Amino acid sequence: MGSSLPPKEANLFKVIVKSYETKQYKKGLKAADAILKKFPEHGETLSMKGLTLNCMDRKSEAYELVRRGLKNDLKSHVCWHVYGLLYRSDREYREAIKCYRNALKIDPDNIEILRDLSLLQVQMRDLTGFVETRQQLLSLKPNHRMNWIGFAVAHHLNSNALKAVDILEAYEGTLEDDYPPENEHYEHGEMLLYKISLLEECGLLDRALEEMHRKEAKIVDKLAFKEQMASIVLKLGRFEEGEKIYRSLLFMNSDNYRYFIGLQKCLGLYSEKGEYTSDEIERLDALYKSLREQYSWSSAIKRIPLDFLEGDKFREAADNYVRPLLTKGVPSLFSDLSPLYEQNGKAAILEQLFLHLEHSIKSTGCFPGSSKKEPPSTIMWTLFLVSQHYDRRGQYSLALAKIDEAIEHTPTVIDLYSIKGRILENAGDLPAAADLADEARSMDLADRYLNSECVMHMLQADQVGLAEKTAVLFTKDGDQHNNLHDMQCMWYELASGESYFRQGDLGRALKNYLAVEKHYSDMTEDQFDFHSYCLRKMTLRAYVSMLKFQNQLHSHEYFHKAAVGAIRCYIKLHDFPSKSVTEEGDEMSQLPPSQRKKMRQKQKKAEARAKKEAEERNEEDTTSGTSKSGKRQNSRPVDLDPHGKKLLQVEVPLLEATKYLKLLQSNSAKSLETHILSFEVNMRKQKILLAFQAVNHLLKLNENNPDCHWCLIKFFHKVSSLTSPETDSEKLVWNVLVAERPHISQLSGKSLIEANQSFLEKHKDSLMHRAAAAEMLYVLEPDKKLDAIMLIEDSKNTQAMGNDALVPVNIWKLEDCIAVHKLLEDVFKDHGSASRWGARCAEYFPYSTYFGGCCSSAVMCTISNNTHSPPENGIAACQDAKTVDSHFLNGKLHGLKDLKIQ
Amino acid sequence: MGVGEGGGEMAAAAISLDGVRDKNVMQLKKLNTALFPVRYNDKYYADALASGDFTKLAYFSDICVGSIACRLEKKEGGAICVYIMTLGVLAPYRGLGVGTKLLNHVLDLSHQQNIWDIYLHVQTNNDDAIAFYKKFGFEITDTIRNYYMNIRPPDCFVLSKVVAQPHAKK
Repeated sequence: MGSSLPPKEANLFKVIVKSYETKQYKKGLKAADAILKKFPEHGETLSMKGLTLNCMDRKSEAYELVRRGLKNDLKSHVCWHVYGLLYRSDREYREAIKCYRNALKIDPDNIEILRDLSLLQVQMRDLTGFVETRQQLLSLKPNHRMNWIGFAVAHHLNSNALKAVDILEAYEGTLEDDYPPENEHYEHGEMLLYKISLLEECGLLDRALEEMHRKEAKIVDKLAFKEQMASIVLKLGRFEEGEKIYRSLLFMNSDNYRYFIGLQKCLGLYSEKGEYTSDEIERLDALYKSLREQYSWSSAIKRIPLDFLEGDKFREAADNYVRPLLTKGVPSLFSDLSPLYEQNGKAAILEQLFLHLEHSIKSTGCFPGSSKKEPPSTIMWTLFLVSQHYDRRGQYSLALAKIDEAIEHTPTVIDLYSIKGRILENAGDLPAAADLADEARSMDLADRYLNSECVMHMLQADQVGLAEKTAVLFTKDGDQHNNLHDMQCMWYELASGESYFRQGDLGRALKNYLAVEKHYSDMTEDQFDFHSYCLRKMTLRAYVSMLKFQNQLHSHEYFHKAAVGAIRCYIKLHDFPSKSVTEEGDEMSQLPPSQRKKMRQKQKKAEARAKKEAEERNEEDTTSGTSKSGKRQNSRPVDLDPHGKKLLQVEVPLLEATKYLKLLQSNSAKSLETHILSFEVNMRKQKILLAFQAVNHLLKLNENNPDCHWCLIKFFHKVSSLTSPETDSEKLVWNVLVAERPHISQLSGKSLIEANQSFLEKHKDSLMHRAAAAEMLYVLEPDKKLDAIMLIEDSKNTQAMGNDALVPVNIWKLEDCIAVHKLLEDVFKDHGSASRWGARCAEYFPYSTYFGGCCSSAVMCTISNNTHSPPENGIAACQDAKTVDSHFLNGKLHGLKDLKIQ
Repeated sequence: MGVGEGGGEMAAAAISLDGVRDKNVMQLKKLNTALFPVRYNDKYYADALASGDFTKLAYFSDICVGSIACRLEKKEGGAICVYIMTLGVLAPYRGLGVGTKLLNHVLDLSHQQNIWDIYLHVQTNNDDAIAFYKKFGFEITDTIRNYYMNIRPPDCFVLSKVVAQPHAKK
């Protein structure tokens, strides 16, 4: 390095490199300038100066210098390496890899460059490349532990676990007998556990077990050892041994559900779906009874039998389970029980049980059959439970009556208000739900959860401004948007995005959705540091599982939601392009030309000013950031586009949509929504075959789903209306469709009208299926519009008597009814039937603000009064407004007698 | 009355006191709304917060069920007296010793701080409350006509705790 320079300058060059490594950038810069004074075109110096400037946030200069340096010295591996580092710092990994490769052509055995390259390769999952580079590193420096481990991990990631085992054993062969030294016990143990997990992965169970026995003394993590052993023994079918290990694990932690599953498997008493014969249930019951004697404190042991017991035994167990928790007051009791509602018949048993308990405490103050007086709070917690039960069953009036009774009893319990808010949300009254959540929040202003819950409800009720002000109460500095963004507060961004979308503000909606997308790319980015760290620290099992997690990262629910949201925005932008672009245009076109020019100049100036401010602030940040070297201060550019206006100005919205669609297709292929969106986007893009592919995916996923039916019919209807093919490619598409259509069972030998009819026959009791069939009927035969509408209106909200509920329950869902209403209004454009439908649903859903139900806040003005008065400081005004509310809630002024104390 | 009876022994362990701060003052408001026919204004809450440890919330197994709210007043000559603005317990939680615990707390605190003058107002027909306070050494010292505006009867008694001040025995 710096070899072409005379000794004095060569030393200066070393100073630059050293300063760069120690982050003393100013010093490095000085040295570089000193060299450049004498040798202004010295390539490596130019490069290093660029790299230094890059760290001082002078990007454009950096690139210019590095490129110039490279041009002056194409044969220098330093210049290429620096260029690679520059790209790497900007996350341009593909470019960086190319640069490193060039550098290695010049200096093939440069360890540093090889190491940097390997990091990028694993980051980009260039696994074959990663294996090669790791091999090279090992052959260059075989005495480094990390190189052995790295090579093994590379083979493992490249789906060759067996080879990885061989490498690790070869590595062990290089070790002395007394290895490891005192301070490396943990690392060595981790390596052994990693090797054993590899053996297990390969199915070499006996060898894995043998290895475990041989190396037991050298493994530090005893718990992981035991768990690993149990898993292997179980796989080997050595159940008695397994049982012993699982029982000893339970002895260490009798609330770990995985241990119970393992134990049940060893006893041949485990079913994935929870289906057991009566004999098995009896044996399970006996098992847990004996465990309960041993571990009286374990709550898992008490809870698990509720999952497999049935009938009277279930009732008895549930009774025993619930009572002490009601006495104690456990607010989470219902969410603990709620999975049971998915099992046939248990909801009805629970209902009977809860009501029985409520009745007994009300009349005697004791639980049934007990003479022990319950504390006064028990009835309140029981009402709380009953209320949540009714909420879950969709019986909102009953749920609200019970929760009100509980609030009347003890008006200071915050959970009561939170749950009341949730019931109102489910019942369809979002503003009232937000109000209740705000009341709950006001009762403990130091509780972040209550604050977040309230913000969520406000967003659902489209009170975005209020939500922002409330959220800000818990962020630092008040610069809330950045702060929430920095904290990757995705629920907030998603909920705001959805609210803005509902309100038609596509710019801000997109801005929020894209912010979430950015978080996910940041998360992908975040793994970078671990590639070297984990190999060094030997946390290999955790490392590999982190990499596997990262491979799946974009299938996470939040990403899915954000991508779906963004695609919906782009589709809307495509369908109504005028809205965004011409809005500004309109404003301008109304002005005379001279003023128009002025206005444009003004806009430009404003933009320039904002930009300048942003840059100034950046400078400030970086200078202060470097002076306080300990704290890493992010330079924060001012948001030039707070309302997402620029995002609306994409030229081809569907192209953007396709970008996110691809991510969905590769990461959420099992979701109907993915393929429905693919259908929507590709139909608009006239990509017939891709749309057809989407239809096929949908049919494969769920041919009975109304949306899938909708896409199927819509597709073939659209195709049949196209003009006959002219170009070759059109003919090709045509031929494919002609060949494929007979393979679709729904359509074979049927016209679309017939297919639609038979779909309707098959699902004639379901509202959403009828609605889909009706819409398609209208599409296929527009003159049958009235028949189609009648199809919808004739749907019956069959009250499900008997089978699972004591009281008749609405089987229609509120959201479905709203969708049907929109269908009548927007697609059929039939106000008569829409308003008839609305009136009918208002009866089914009296709390729904959408349908203006008689109990909703849209109708009862008491509550809606204060939703429209945004608080000035987020607290005081709210509370003022709330006192009215709380008055009304705690309500029913006590008579004078209640004044008595004690 | 009622103190130590019934569920007293069960509950005594489960009752605890906590201060009132601006973050949880809503709890006090909720209690007052439920307990008293009078709506209290901002001054009441400011006084309560200012009184520090003289205003307390009582918790029964983590549920806020009662409160005592006091105002510290300066008499002529600089001595301080304690005015108990409100003392109340939610109906279902009465008879568990919550009120006693709250009142004893204020009495003890006054004692510690050498405050010997404690008083309060009670509606004239509230026999239970009068009996309760008498047990703690309070006496009726005055009657104020038309003290209340919107409730009947409008009169109240003044109850004061007469304390034999321990004249520094040396």
